[in-house]
Amino acid sequence: MKILIVEDEPKTGDYLQQGLREAGFAVSLATTGLDGVHLALEGDHDLLILDVMLPGMNGWQVLKHLRDRGQKLPVLFLSARDSVEDRVKGLELGADDYLIKPFSFAELLARVRTILRRGPPGTEATVIVVADLELDLLRRRVTRRGKRIDLTAKEFGLLELLMRRQGEVLPRSLIASQVWDMNFDSDTNVVEVAMRRLRIKIDDHDEPRLIQTIRGMGYVLESPARQS
Amino acid sequence: MTRRMSLTTRLTVLYTLVAACVLAGMVAIVSTSVNRHFAELDDDTLRDKGRLIQDMLAKSTGQAELHGRLDDALQSHPGLFVRIADADGVVWYASPSFAFPDGVLRASADTASRGIVTWTADEHAYRALHTVAMRRDARDIPMHVWIAVDTRHHAHFTDSLHAVLWAYAVLAALLSGALGWFAARTGLAPLRAMRNRARSVSGQQLSERMPVESVPVEMAELASSLNDMLARLQHDFQRLSDFSSDLAHELRTPISNLLTQTQVALSQTRDAGVYRDILASNAEEFQRLGRMVSDMLLLAKAEHGLLLPHAEAISLDEEVQALFDFYEALAEEKEILLHRSGSAQLRGDRLMIRRAVSNLLSNALRHTPQQGMVTIRLAQTTDSVTLTVANTGAAIDPALVPRLFDRFFRADPSRAHADRDGAGLGLAITRAIVQAHQGTVQVSTMAGETSFALTFPRP
Repeated sequence: MKILIVEDEPKTGDYLQQGLREAGFAVSLATTGLDGVHLALEGDHDLLILDVMLPGMNGWQVLKHLRDRGQKLPVLFLSARDSVEDRVKGLELGADDYLIKPFSFAELLARVRTILRRGPPGTEATVIVVADLELDLLRRRVTRRGKRIDLTAKEFGLLELLMRRQGEVLPRSLIASQVWDMNFDSDTNVVEVAMRRLRIKIDDHDEPRLIQTIRGMGYVLESPARQS
Repeated sequence: MTRRMSLTTRLTVLYTLVAACVLAGMVAIVSTSVNRHFAELDDDTLRDKGRLIQDMLAKSTGQAELHGRLDDALQSHPGLFVRIADADGVVWYASPSFAFPDGVLRASADTASRGIVTWTADEHAYRALHTVAMRRDARDIPMHVWIAVDTRHHAHFTDSLHAVLWAYAVLAALLSGALGWFAARTGLAPLRAMRNRARSVSGQQLSERMPVESVPVEMAELASSLNDMLARLQHDFQRLSDFSSDLAHELRTPISNLLTQTQVALSQTRDAGVYRDILASNAEEFQRLGRMVSDMLLLAKAEHGLLLPHAEAISLDEEVQALFDFYEALAEEKEILLHRSGSAQLRGDRLMIRRAVSNLLSNALRHTPQQGMVTIRLAQTTDSVTLTVANTGAAIDPALVPRLFDRFFRADPSRAHADRDGAGLGLAITRAIVQAHQGTVQVSTMAGETSFALTFPRP
């Protein structure tokens, strides 16, 4: 997966590049809007991460330019401004997502993966398996080593999210938004407590432990084979 | 004309123009009256002499005798000229060294009018009367008589009168202008006083006010409106500067912590695990800072009236249920019972309302003791919707209640920087959101129960 970043702030650009590279993406970086347009039109990128405030040609203009030339590349906007108008403008111009600085890197990564996963809807798996943990979406049933585990509706939703995105670090804000529809910086303590309770049910009686806390970033559910 | 004239100039010009019109009118009336009066005097003289000559003709015995009498009569009237001719144009008598213009003679002969004719010649103005008289010796032969008078001496008088009148008019108009200028300047003095006062107002000197008492009634309203404006500006300015200093103060502590922690960590070589811990702790702190900045921005927007909720129908029952689902785990940890009663609908911004209630619920859970209870009561009347979040537990110190909604206010300062405690912006945000929906927040606290009631108007 190839990602193009257009960002004029050198530090931000470098860290984004490094972070996304280490997450397994091929990354190129442009520091001006014009370079960004050229690279986006020439290369075969899968995603464009675009800063709004750029010298010369700003993010809106870059996107408009690309869309005018029929370039349908998915775009994720980064901006330090969070007015509703800006957000609406970005989405109207055909951006796929809009992230406000400062954002957590885990959040960015999660959103990047969400955008890249979008595409032609395939046949969704009805059973997700991670190691010896099984989640049956149709029957809404969870088993570990064949043993049935009773979960509340929200715990089921939380586990489903973690399993669907296994191996990805999910920040608390994303979890609160996806599971409980709390789309604002809410009391993240709540996510922690909910996660602790889910862990007691999933991980306490069985080894290996599947849910990991990544301090300062969030949570990840991973099979032990990949954890090493 | 795009150049702007000062009010004083405008008033002065206006005064001068009005005075000039009035005076010019007066001059015109006086001079026409004088002219008409002189004309009447001249006409009287002419008719008088006309009758005299008719009389002479009627009594005269011959041309020579007539000559003698006329010469005698005219001698004492230097500005009077006479010509007498018969119907065939034979001149019987003509004043020496004076000739009536042909036009005058012909016009009179043609029309046989007895009217008055005027003309000018050699810078003299003349006025003549034509009349017909009968001779004693030939009663059937009419004689044409022309009598002319030189009106130059009247002209002299009226000319000098005109000159005096116009000079007076011009001077008087100018004087009125000067008086007008003086009146305008004096009248506008309060305006200059206000201007001087306004000049002294600046960011540091917002407490200056316009002098309402000392200005005329017409300007008092303007002055007090300006004062109201200044008061609002001062208020907003004060809030803005409080806001900046709050922000700087609140950011200073965490930044200082981060800096110290990072520098201590760098001061010697440590295990990778230790570094990881420090970075993770820093990341958490940064997230907190980021949240604080976003919250401050939201509050700043709210205070400038930029928080514009878009209205949709919200079922508060469902919102409360969603929030209970979210806080369920936390409540169970502390064995707190979450309870909802009543039911209500509201038009408002769903995300904002959810956030406002979430802050109250989060606060309530934090301050409810183990095995306590948090109740959300919904009530709806014809003109308002009320949502009350009540929790069991100790009362809030009444002295602290008025400050609860202040930014960065924390009821328990000792817990101020505990990681999980918010930045002290939750209630401020709740109030800002409620106010953006034209609602109000009320707190009531007593031993055993504390409640926050949000009341929204129903359209």
